[in-house]
Amino acid sequence: MAQDSVGLSSDYQFWIQKLSVWKQASTLETQQDTCLYLPQFQEFLRQMYEALKEMDSNTVIERFPTIGQLLAKACRNPFILAYDESQKILIWCLCCLINKDPQNSGESQLNSWTRGLLSHILAAFRSDIKEVDLFTQGLGYAPADYYPGLLKNMVLSLVSELRENHLNGFNTQSRMAPERVRSLSRVCVPLVTLPDFEPLVEALLTYHGQEPQEVLWPEFFGAVNEAFLLKKICLPVSAVLCLWLRHLPSLEKAVLHLFEKLVSSERNCLRRIECFMKDSLLPEAACHPAIFRVVDEMFRYALLETEGAPEVLAAMQVFTRCFVEALEKENQQPKFALKTYFPYASPSLVMVLLQRPKDIPQGLWHRPLKRISEMLKEIVEDETQGSSGGPFENWFLLAHFGGWADIAAEQLLTSVGDAEPPEALLWLLAFSSSPGDGPQQRAQTMVEVKAVLSHLGRLLRSPTLSAGNLLAAAEESREGDPRPPACQQLTRRLLLNFLLWAPGGRAMARDVITLMARTDEIMHEIVGFLDQTLYRWDHLGVDAPGSRKLARELLAELRGQA
Amino acid sequence: MDSLLQQLERFSEVLAVSRTTHVSTWDAATVRRALQWARYLRHVHRRFGRHARIRKALERRLQNQWKQEGGSGPAPALGLTNFQALGHCDLLLSLRLLANRALGDAAFHYLLQELFPGPGVPGAEEGTLQGSLALLARRRAAVHMLRSSAYRENPVLQEDSLMKTQAELLLERLQEVGEAHAEGPGRFLSRLWEHLPHNNFLKVTAAALLLPPSSPRHQEEESELGNPRRAGERGRELLHWLLGKSEVIVAFCRNLPAGLLTSVAGRHPEVSRVYLGLLTDWGRHLHYDLQKGIWIGTESQDVPWEELYGRFQSLCQAPPPLKDEVLTTLKSCKAQDGDFEVPGLSIWTDLLLALESGA
Repeated sequence: MAQDSVGLSSDYQFWIQKLSVWKQASTLETQQDTCLYLPQFQEFLRQMYEALKEMDSNTVIERFPTIGQLLAKACRNPFILAYDESQKILIWCLCCLINKDPQNSGESQLNSWTRGLLSHILAAFRSDIKEVDLFTQGLGYAPADYYPGLLKNMVLSLVSELRENHLNGFNTQSRMAPERVRSLSRVCVPLVTLPDFEPLVEALLTYHGQEPQEVLWPEFFGAVNEAFLLKKICLPVSAVLCLWLRHLPSLEKAVLHLFEKLVSSERNCLRRIECFMKDSLLPEAACHPAIFRVVDEMFRYALLETEGAPEVLAAMQVFTRCFVEALEKENQQPKFALKTYFPYASPSLVMVLLQRPKDIPQGLWHRPLKRISEMLKEIVEDETQGSSGGPFENWFLLAHFGGWADIAAEQLLTSVGDAEPPEALLWLLAFSSSPGDGPQQRAQTMVEVKAVLSHLGRLLRSPTLSAGNLLAAAEESREGDPRPPACQQLTRRLLLNFLLWAPGGRAMARDVITLMARTDEIMHEIVGFLDQTLYRWDHLGVDAPGSRKLARELLAELRGQA
Repeated sequence: MDSLLQQLERFSEVLAVSRTTHVSTWDAATVRRALQWARYLRHVHRRFGRHARIRKALERRLQNQWKQEGGSGPAPALGLTNFQALGHCDLLLSLRLLANRALGDAAFHYLLQELFPGPGVPGAEEGTLQGSLALLARRRAAVHMLRSSAYRENPVLQEDSLMKTQAELLLERLQEVGEAHAEGPGRFLSRLWEHLPHNNFLKVTAAALLLPPSSPRHQEEESELGNPRRAGERGRELLHWLLGKSEVIVAFCRNLPAGLLTSVAGRHPEVSRVYLGLLTDWGRHLHYDLQKGIWIGTESQDVPWEELYGRFQSLCQAPPPLKDEVLTTLKSCKAQDGDFEVPGLSIWTDLLLALESGA
């Protein structure tokens, strides 16, 4: 407590000085400065209140002799009174000064003064509209009756003035002067969270003046973005889009905010991630290529930093899915060519990747898969082609539409034991799990996978099918050397698919998984796989009641264990 | 029901008293009871707001106060004024007590504890008095900031938000007064005219006469109660009173800006008739000064030529039928004077000439 009060004393000096400079925040500089410090000042007020409420009136004066000055100056600054909860906290502080039973004239005077200040906060700025006050009094109305209506009328009037600018493009007379618009955006900074101001905030965000440079005040964007991310204001997508297009830092903050939420919330639940994603309005906003590129860039950076963490990959896939959904919702011709979203990729590849598996009968899924695989192979392994980016770029592109690789794995397993696994699918899987491999290494991986598949196929028909055998089939490499980790992941995935699809496999599922999950990481991976698979099946409407039931049960059990 | 009405009246008295020095006799217990009472009545408002019969009864009792004639001062009601006020009667009471210097220190201290308990359960704030008071303070700061930074008075007066707000309030009150007593609005307006600054009052009247037929809030209330109040009714009493009081209508036509009057005249033909009558009357007071070559008046209160011309010019820019009516009037006046074409003989000739050349 002692340490707190020392910190408080030094802050106190700082704030008294600031308030003296700001006065009534009537100049441009004082307004700008006040706006910058509003959150910190409110925090300081809260701390002051916590300290004051423990004391009685006399102790307060002893401890903070100039408290009256501080509070009075704060009360005269309309920006402070307008911000968030500052007016409330100021009132609380003033209440601490009231003496229940004043013993001398000094204490009485303090009471009187404090009451005056309280009155001022709640009945402030009376002289401003004297005629209105007189008139309304004459009618028998109190300010509490008509202030909401007055504010509403003022906001509506300003909104219609702002919107008029759109219609009267070249009519200079009715246009709102840029300085007024800027001033209005400044006034809005403390007030963005006041519901009455929502129409005005929206009108400002969507306002396009004639001037080439930005006319709105940058702190305005920051304040709106903060309020939006904390859900303290409700804005339509069009307004948020304008916000992010006009103020890049806000967009970046929004993406980071989303990332933080994804990291801190329950991982491995794609459904919830989808909710967060849609809630953030980022997929919808990303229909505008400039925004998509920024968000994409941040995903790319996150992937590089985390070295391809599966959570980031999953989030990016969900984002892409929501984004594509939003794009399709714009019924008419898409406004921007695909190339603007994926400038470094081959347009035909993007076209194929964008195809919705839902639109294609399940039996024909191998066709687009083959196309994708062939196109990627051509781009990646043909060294003379430099234009469509290296392996990482193309892998990054594929990762957006990760569903295809998953489908490839599934396809391999559902036909295990029948015919030879198609080379194209094997290549695709190998590429998606380690894009950095050279052609030889990849060929090696493909051979390994083929071997695993055929082994699994044999076991299926063998009477000695057991959990141990299955695991061995997946984990032992042909030469007996340990496989590289990416390849191990791949074979684990194949095994899991096998467990879900092959009737013989289903019976062993629990045992195999118990044997497989030797480390927390692997357990994590399995849970992630099950969640992703169910999520994908839901979206594609895959009809596989047995597999689905099993997957759901397993997921619930494993989650319960974690 | 009866006991409820009695409590309503008694609380209304308490509310009225809360503004006077009588509160110096109040102690903490009195304050507590008053606040509890207010809370109870607010609950009543919430519960019976949609119950047409009970609401009607409560409204009627509150409207009784408007029936009282005479009364000194412009503010007849210190207590609850209408059913809507019941919805935030605790807020009204609190504000009055907070501002009342006569309230003793101990009672005041108790009041503060009740109103501002401090940071408690978040989210429950919206419904509490603490939340409402803070919101009021915030909104007042907002209005002030808008006024001093970005706001400017709308040159089209009837669209200025301050004017509009006052106009809406006036019509609302008139409606309530009218429901209490048929003669109510007239007397009420006369009282206002006696006590309020005329200029603002006239502007508000004009704005009220130009408000759109029915505000959304009223429509909502109407549909809730299933009580169709005709949209046109709202301004009718006001118009009736305006036209009935010669002192007022003359001031109205004389002091308000030409454009505003044109709008009002365009909307209300009764006003245009009176307006034109006055204009022709004023015109007849002017005579031609041969030496100076202009039309001048003899007395100080005569309307000068420029103003007369300005008003006619504005009227001629109005859409028909007003425009046609004005021209017809001018032409018939000109004919009455002898139908001269030469300037300087009839003011009506000169006006028409000036209007044609100016247009």
